[in-house]
Parts: sequence; C-alpha cells; structure tokens
Amino acid sequence: MTEGPFVRLNGTWLLTAFLFLSLAFAIQGTFETKTEIGDTFTREAQIQQAQIDLEDLLRLQIDEENSLRGYLLTRDPFYPAAYRSSAAGYNLKESAIRETLRQQQLTRAERLLSEYAALQQKWRNTVAARLFAYPNQQLQELDKSNKLFSDYETLQASQIRRELATTGDELARSTQSELDRSSYFRAAWVLVFGLLAVLFNVYRSRLNRELEEERTVTQILQRAFQSESAPLPHCEVGSAYLSATSHLAVGGDVFDIYRLAPNRALVLIADISGKGVDAAVLTAFVKFMVRAIALRVAKPAAILAEFNVVLAKAVGDPYLFASMFVGILDTDTFRLTYASAGHDAAFVRNGAVVTQLAVTGPVLGVMEEPYGTETIGLATGDTLILATDGLTEVRNPSGQQLTEEGAMELLKKTSPQSQLLADEMAAKVREYGGNRIRDDLAILVIRVLGLQVPRE
Amino acid sequence: MNRRLVALLACWLALTANALADCKVHKGENVVLYSTTENPSVLIWDSRARLRDYHAASFDAAQAMLPHALLAAPGTHASVIACIPNSVTSPLFSAPDDAIGVIITAGPYRGAARWVLGSDVRPEPKR
Repeated sequence: MTEGPFVRLNGTWLLTAFLFLSLAFAIQGTFETKTEIGDTFTREAQIQQAQIDLEDLLRLQIDEENSLRGYLLTRDPFYPAAYRSSAAGYNLKESAIRETLRQQQLTRAERLLSEYAALQQKWRNTVAARLFAYPNQQLQELDKSNKLFSDYETLQASQIRRELATTGDELARSTQSELDRSSYFRAAWVLVFGLLAVLFNVYRSRLNRELEEERTVTQILQRAFQSESAPLPHCEVGSAYLSATSHLAVGGDVFDIYRLAPNRALVLIADISGKGVDAAVLTAFVKFMVRAIALRVAKPAAILAEFNVVLAKAVGDPYLFASMFVGILDTDTFRLTYASAGHDAAFVRNGAVVTQLAVTGPVLGVMEEPYGTETIGLATGDTLILATDGLTEVRNPSGQQLTEEGAMELLKKTSPQSQLLADEMAAKVREYGGNRIRDDLAILVIRVLGLQVPRE
Repeated sequence: MNRRLVALLACWLALTANALADCKVHKGENVVLYSTTENPSVLIWDSRARLRDYHAASFDAAQAMLPHALLAAPGTHASVIACIPNSVTSPLFSAPDDAIGVIITAGPYRGAARWVLGSDVRPEPKR
C-alpha cells in the first residue's frame, strides 16, 4: 500500500515529462527544419544568381568579340573602348561567379570557370591584341584560332551552365525532401504526442478509478474500524480523532467505551505502531479482541497480559507493538480500575489540577511482563482524559516536542465540557504542530457528572 | 553454312540500319554549314582522324592541328558523302557527335572533300 502513491506519482510524472519532451522535441525539430530549408533556399538563390551572372559573362565575351569585329570592319575608335569596357565587365562578373562557386564548394564548376577565364585571357593576348595592333592582317590562321577559342569557351560555358543547373536541381530536390522529411517527422511526433496523451488519459482514468475504489474501501473501513465512545450513565463523554493520513481519517490509534454491564464499562485507548489503513485494520482487531477478553476477565492487568499473548501469537509481527490503557469504570461508584501498557498520555483533571496516571507495565508486543492494576476514585466534576502519543509527541515547526507537561498545561486551560475539551485539545495540537499532523491523535474524555444526573 | 551466312547478313543489316538511323543527315543530302551562334564559322578537316583528334585533344594540341583545317563561312553549301554516327567525342561534349564527310558545293572551297562535325551541319532549307 505504501508503494502505491509513489509508483503512481512516478508514472504520472514520467508521462507528463514524456509529453513535455515530445512537445519540446517537435518544436525544436520544426525550428531546425525551418533553418535547414532557409539555408537551402539561400543556396538555391545563390546558384540562380550565378546562372544569371554566367549568361551575362557570355554576353560580355560576345561583346568583346563583336567589338573586335566591329573595329576590323569600321576602324571606329568606339570599338576598342567598347572592347575594354566589356573586358573589364567580364573580369568583374567572372570574380563574382567564382566567389559564389567557392562558397557553394562547386570545385569542378570553379575549375571550369578558371579554364574558361584563362582561355578568354589567352584569346585577348594572342588573337584580339594582334588584330587590334594589325587590323589589316586578317589572316585565315587568326580566324581559325578565333574559332577555336570561341568553340572552347562556348563548350566550357555550357558545362558550367550544366553544372549549376544540376546543383540547382539537387538543391530543389533536397528542399523537397527536407520538406517531406519535416512533414513526416512532424506527423510522427504528432502521432507520438497523441499516443502519449491517450496513454496519459487512460492512465489517469485508471488511477482515478483505483482511487475511487480505494476511497470506497476506506469508507467501509472507516465505518468498521471507527473508534466508539458510547454514552455512559452519569458521565459526559467526548472524543476527537486526527489522522496523520488526513484523507483517510483512519489510523493506528483507537479508543473504545464498551458497556460490560449496566454499571461497568470498558474504557480503552491504544496506539498501534504504524499509520493509515494497515494500522487501522489492526485497531479493529485490538478493539474487538480487548472487548472479548474484558467480557471474561475482570482485572485490567489480566486483560493486558492476555492481549499481549494474543498479539504476539495471533499477529506474529515482531515489529508490531502497541501502547494501551485499559480501564474498568464503575458508573455507580466512579471507581476506575486501570492498567497501562506504556501508555503515558492518561490524565485526570480536577478543576485546575491535572494529574498524570501512572504507567503499570511495558508496551505490548515487546515482552511478556506482568502488568499492574491501579484503582482511583473519581469525584463529581473530575475528568478522565485519555490520549495517544500524538498529543504529547507533537512537535512545533522548530522541532520542540509538547511533552506530558506541556499537554497537562494545555489541559488546564480547556473547557470543562467533555466534547468541547476534546475538540479544543485537537485544535491546539494542530495549531502547535503548525497545522501539520505527523502522527495520529485520539482523545477520549469522560467527565463524571455525579449521581444527581438521572440515569439514561 | 547457310545459317551462318544468314546470321552475318542479319548483323550487317542491323548495324547498317542502326548507323543510318543514328545519322542526322544521309548520303547525298544537301546541307548548309553553320556552327554555334557565338561563332557560326565552321572548321572543315582534311581527314576524319583529325576531326576526331581535334575534339579529343587539349586546347594547345588542338591549336597545333589548325593548319589542317579550313574555315568555311557560315552558310557554305555542301553535299553529304559519308556519315559515321557518334564517332567524335570530347571531354567538353555531353554526348558523342557524328563525323560527316562532305563535298563543298559553293564558295572558295568548292569541290573540296572534307570532314565536319555533325552539329555544324544543317539541312539545306527547301525552296
């Protein structure tokens, strides 16, 4: 039982963490894809610009050749100037394309461009310069050479064009595949996210169902194991219960008033080690077993002794122990015969005087020791206050324990009326503990009203 | 024996048919010489081997071979006398080109039998 909430908590946290992780991953993936696609588009734009620049370069090359032809035909000085301008433009354009190719790491295209530019320079030096210098010597050999240059350059330019086009196509394909991949990836994440959400929902539903079942079981247990304070003749009875497992309202503390005879009542308070439902199950066993023993055995010490044996043999848990106060109250004489197995939170209040009742033996479940019986007489107005160690061992936020003395001081300041007294004590304990209950607390209060009060 | 002859004949027919089918122009066809838009003049070669070597060679080697070529003006008329499909390759070509044997029918080189590149030959426009 103790592992349940821990495991549930872990499961819930794990699923929540998974959900957040999936979401974060999906968002991160989207941003990553956006960046990748952005980069690819930039590359594509650069390639397209290089393609445009290459066409410009070819145009400038033809302009150079046409300027040369124009000069040879007309001798117009406009043409050499146009030739120089085209050559300068060619060089600038060639540098720009080369830079782009270098950035794109298109080494083959860069090499082709270099060869192309080198040929053009060679053409300028060997063909154009000679023709400009000797325009009248239009030799067949020079024309053929011109043709050779022209063909080579055209072919090389078309190779560069093809190279750029291939790269552009590859980039377009890469963009498409990146988009596809991104879509699939996101779809997969949405699927994972959705599945996790469904899983989370199923898990939560199951958890809620389990909690509902547990709540139902707890309610049944609460009804079965509730401490009982039956009315007593000539007495006023009050009680309070605070459970350390607040949502369960059951615990290891138990009190009981059980009428053994019309004028004799068993008064019991016990603190079983442990908390929650596990301890509550044992309290039921304690309550009914002590009642059964008390029906046969009159002396409280004998009841404790017999119960001690039963606890050791029937339960068989070496780590289980209990402190217990058992009293037989005669409601005609108001004599209280009691035995206390290590249970020190038992007090009698007479006005402003509070007395602690002595412990008559060790706690149950430790050793088979004989228990003593004490008898006290209660006067009209006297109040018997029995509590568990949740009263005396409560600690304030700075860690200071209330102790028996502290409890007795508190008792002096409480109302005389039994139920009010029990409620006030419970409230004071809660307040002392900083509104935090670390241990179960049971309080049973019996105030002697005296024989003048008519019998029930 | 007969079977072998039939097989050989079939091979020859297939090869011839393939060669004819692959050639852009056919023997006897009248054509016009025209090269690229950038420089439409056409180099015409004295042998098919030189045509082939010129395109396979490096720039400098190609330049050294130029004395074996004539430069025909664009629009020079010629008649096809032979076609060897896909026989000219170049590191700068995306695909092999044809070698076309022509007889120049007009201009200063009229009557000369020369070799030209397939892509430098255009069918003569019909009048």
